[in-house]
Amino acid sequence: MTGGYVTGGWSFVWAAYGWTALVFATYGLSLFLRIRKSR
Amino acid sequence: MTSQPTRAARAMLTVAIVCGVAAVALSVYADAALHGGRTVVGSWLPFTAACLAIAASALFMLIGDSFPSAPPFILAGAVACLLAGSYLGLFVAPPEHFMGEVQRIMYVHVPTAWSALLALTFAFGCAIVSLFTGAWKWDAKLEGGVEVGVLLGFLLCCQGAIWAKPTWGVWWDWDPRLTTTAVLVCAFLGILALRHFVDDPVKRATWSAVATIIAYVDVPIVYYSVRWWNSLHQMQSSPETVSPQFYLPLRLNAFGVLFLMTGFIVLRSRIAAARIATELAPPPPELLGELA
Repeated sequence: MTGGYVTGGWSFVWAAYGWTALVFATYGLSLFLRIRKSR
Repeated sequence: MTSQPTRAARAMLTVAIVCGVAAVALSVYADAALHGGRTVVGSWLPFTAACLAIAASALFMLIGDSFPSAPPFILAGAVACLLAGSYLGLFVAPPEHFMGEVQRIMYVHVPTAWSALLALTFAFGCAIVSLFTGAWKWDAKLEGGVEVGVLLGFLLCCQGAIWAKPTWGVWWDWDPRLTTTAVLVCAFLGILALRHFVDDPVKRATWSAVATIIAYVDVPIVYYSVRWWNSLHQMQSSPETVSPQFYLPLRLNAFGVLFLMTGFIVLRSRIAAARIATELAPPPPELLGELA
C-alpha cells in the first residue's frame, strides 16, 4: 500500500476467485456423489 | 422422494423461470441505461431485479422436489451468470480508485455474503414451518438450507481474509462484522453436528428447528453490525453508492451465486429427504421375523 492506495494485488484477486471456484466445484461434486449413493 | 408435479407446481416453475430471466434482463437493461447517461440506478429497477431473482430462487427451492431435472438447468444458468459476471469483473470493469485491483474481489465476496444470509433465512423459514406443520419435507429443506448457508459463510470468511490482507494488512481482525459472522458460521455448523449425532428423526427435526430459530438471531446482528458498532468493515453499499462500471459484474455474479445456492439447496434437500424416508420406512419383514 502506498499513500492510502492499494497497488498490485492481482495475486489476491486470483486467489479469491480460484478458491471460490474450487469450493463450489468440490461441493457440487460431493452433492452429485451423495445423490448417486442415496439412489 | 419426488412427487408428480401438480398444475400449481408447473405454474410456479413457469413464474420462477420468467422471474429469473427478467431479473437478468432488467439488470442488463439498467447497465445499458446507466452507460447511456440515464440515472436509472437508484430508482426502482435494480430493486425490482433483485426482488425478481429472489422470488425465482424461493419458488425453485419450494417446488424443487417436484422437478428432478430442474437443478441442472438452474446450475447451468448460475454458471453462465458467474462466467459472464467474473469476466466483466476481472477484465472489463476498471480498478477502484483507492483499492485498485483488489476491489475486484468484491464481485464474488458481496454476492457470497448476500446468498449466505438468504440461505440461512430460507432455513429459518423452513424451521418455523417444520415446527408448525411437522412435515418432513421442511425438515429436509432446513438441512439443505443450513448446510449451504454454512458453506457460503465459510467461503465468505475466506474471501474476506484474502481481501483483508492487502487492504487492512492482516488476514483476520476481531472486528464486529467478522466476529459476528464467525459466530454465525459456528452456530449453524453446530446445528449440522446436532443433526448428525441425533438418530431419532422426530427429536432431530424439533431440536434442529428450534436451534435454527435461535441461531438466526445472529443474522440481523451480522447485517447491522457495521452500523451499530465502530467497524473496520465498510458499510453496505446501495445502487446510489456503487459506480456504474461496477454495477453489471456485481449483479450478474449476485444472480449466479444466488442460482447456484438455489440448485445446491434443492439437491441437498433431496439427499436429506431420501435419508429421512429410509429412516421412517418400516423395517423389512425378514428383520421383523428375526426380532420376533
